[in-house]
Amino acid sequence: MFKHLFKLIWNKRKQNFLFLSEILVSFLVIFAVFSFLTYYYQNYSKPLGFDYKKVWSIYYENGELTKNRDSLAIFYENLNKSLKSMPQIEEVTFSSGNFPYSDSFMSTGLTQNGKKFNMVSHFVVGTDYKKVWNVSLLEGRWFMPEDLVSKNKGIVINETLKKAVFGNTNATGKLIGDYDDKEKMKVLGVVQDVKSNGDFAPAGNAMFVQLDSGYYRDTHNILIKVREGADANFESQLYKFMATSVKNAVEIKHLDQMRDSKNGVTIIPMVIFIIIASFLIINVALGLFGVLWYNINKRKAEIGLRRAIGASGNSVSNQLIMEAMILATISLIVGCFFAVQFPLMSVFNIPASAYFIAILLSVIFIYVLVLLCSLYPGKQAAAIHPAIALHEE
Amino acid sequence: MLKNYFKIAIAVLKRRKFFTFISLFGISFTLTILMVATAFMDKVLSPDYPDYKRNRSLYVTSMEFKNSKEGWMNRSDVSYYFLDHYVSTLKTVQKIGISSSAKASNAYVNNKKLVIEYKYTNADFWNILEYKFLEGKAFQQREIDNAELVAVISEETKKDYFGDEQNVIGKYISADNINYRVIGVVSNVSKTLQNFCADMYIPYTLSKDYKSTNLMGGFGAVLLAKSEADLPKMKREYDLMIKKVPIPKDFDRLYCNADPYFASMTRRIAGDGTNDGLTKAISIISLFVLLFLLLPTINLVNINITRIMERSSEIGVRKAFGASSKTLVYQFIIENLILTFLGALIGLVLSVIVIYLINGANIVSNMRLSMNFTVLCYSLIACVFFGLLSGVYPAWRMSKLNIVKALKAQ
Repeated sequence: MFKHLFKLIWNKRKQNFLFLSEILVSFLVIFAVFSFLTYYYQNYSKPLGFDYKKVWSIYYENGELTKNRDSLAIFYENLNKSLKSMPQIEEVTFSSGNFPYSDSFMSTGLTQNGKKFNMVSHFVVGTDYKKVWNVSLLEGRWFMPEDLVSKNKGIVINETLKKAVFGNTNATGKLIGDYDDKEKMKVLGVVQDVKSNGDFAPAGNAMFVQLDSGYYRDTHNILIKVREGADANFESQLYKFMATSVKNAVEIKHLDQMRDSKNGVTIIPMVIFIIIASFLIINVALGLFGVLWYNINKRKAEIGLRRAIGASGNSVSNQLIMEAMILATISLIVGCFFAVQFPLMSVFNIPASAYFIAILLSVIFIYVLVLLCSLYPGKQAAAIHPAIALHEE
Repeated sequence: MLKNYFKIAIAVLKRRKFFTFISLFGISFTLTILMVATAFMDKVLSPDYPDYKRNRSLYVTSMEFKNSKEGWMNRSDVSYYFLDHYVSTLKTVQKIGISSSAKASNAYVNNKKLVIEYKYTNADFWNILEYKFLEGKAFQQREIDNAELVAVISEETKKDYFGDEQNVIGKYISADNINYRVIGVVSNVSKTLQNFCADMYIPYTLSKDYKSTNLMGGFGAVLLAKSEADLPKMKREYDLMIKKVPIPKDFDRLYCNADPYFASMTRRIAGDGTNDGLTKAISIISLFVLLFLLLPTINLVNINITRIMERSSEIGVRKAFGASSKTLVYQFIIENLILTFLGALIGLVLSVIVIYLINGANIVSNMRLSMNFTVLCYSLIACVFFGLLSGVYPAWRMSKLNIVKALKAQ
């Protein structure tokens, strides 16, 4: 039976060629949409890893502060104390500019046994950073103030980095080289992954370093966790206090709002993309439907003859649906050949699993689409009455 | 002749309504998206409020230091010192408008938080850019020299900060704990004009870093030439001047370009110090448009072929009576163009609706898209292009039809 169908298709290769290319291109479009959706969904389904709801960030210009290292340390200590003494504030920490949702990136490299790990996000954080964000610890411990004077600089790494460097073994207490392997750093603990670039981006490799007084001159950000009842009134007081303390420009932001805008950067283009793609698909579906319908009308005589010599209505409509499915299969084989190149060459840094799921979903989608488009024309063909069809001849 | 083609085209369209619907749906939707995209590009690229003098302006936005041996790179906005000390001495520059990148500050009014983005500017900034003053006026050199605490605010800020008050000149607005006296209110500027949109504008002498003698800082400039013809001369003089700027230690190259508006944008997105990214940006955009057009085109070709084959008897008869292939191809392309234009008309209505929705939703702050003459022109070109793209192949296939076969089919 398949041999016959192939012969029929081959006889009309010129007409079928356009049909094939249309399915091929639609498959590629669907594949692109599904790749992104799968990738985003995979990231979205992972836990966030921290609490952002009650966290505010305070950015300030530090140009007017003293340049003397010791008096700067005293200034920061006092600032920390006065902030903490406010009843609405639960926790306070200083941080480098690349705190979660901040649109700022700092990365470095690490070396372990001669192997390089690049693009490791580098967070410089105060001792209470963990309390502000409520990050959970998987093994080891978080920083303590005494760590600043230890021989090897202590670092805390995240789960992804731990898996990349140490595999499934324990990382706590092990040494790891910095980007040119000159200095060794000691892993104090491992924290859960933190999706700091929004719900749809992976956590990536990350390491935390404790902020020491040498870094104060480059510090521009305070993160605070507020209690219930911290309202705009309190915020304006806090703002005045900060502006008088640093004698310079200050900006307070709420992390939940920053999260919304960070997610918006992913969601808005995605929604536009999906709308355009679905219009394209509706367009294609209508086109396929029209072409199949027309073809059946043209083959009335052939179908009528088959019916006259005893083929059932079902077998006629099955034949037509099978023809369409075989055409779809041919296109999908070519399409998959192109699609498979993406995971093989790991384009765009999207994990291979996302691509394979996307290929599977797109194949199913195209089959369902072609099936739906050929059902009605097939049914119409089955309804052809042999006498009428042959009479026309 | 054309009239006949038109009549035939309409008759064919009426014959199979379902196919007509599919074709028109595909065409109108494709052109809607192209038109909205064109309206957006037009908003970004053509001279717009308040920056009307783009044809005789160059824009200085960023500076790049490089260490070619070690591969280090440092890129940032330029400093006020650089603009004042080097750029403003150029002879071909008629005026130089300096403004800082926007800085955010918070204000608290009636227990509500306001984010105020402010820019530092010089006096000529107000002479080059044609801001529309709803109240008051801009600050002049005198206020700048005295470092007076005065501010020009946008209409939006006025509404958010002062509510429904009619006249706000002379009132005070507080940002960063400093009270500024409002001396002017200007119409809102679209967020797409990053160099010129802000909620509040204040004299540059109030900034903390304008005295620093670093080359990099937080400023940018628009350079105005005397006339459009002077632009290349100004660019040459500027490039010569850049060669003489001392390069900071640790680096061996310095790039800082004065670009026309479009190039200054593409350089920021796709280029670097040596390459303005123009070719790259244009090729990426055209590739994207072509890929987007691919699917609707194949679909339309498919449908067109089906429709044309339906008319094989008509074609056979016309051929038998001596119509040349060329005439037939010509006829079918015209018919397809008529179809495309019908689709474009529907698309036009749809895109006006979409643009209305986009403006209503205020997706990009203060951006108002519009259907103007330029957008219509580009849409017309897109429409003809699309019509030809989808009409030529079916017409060619049809013209190759064998007379005997065509007639035998009946």
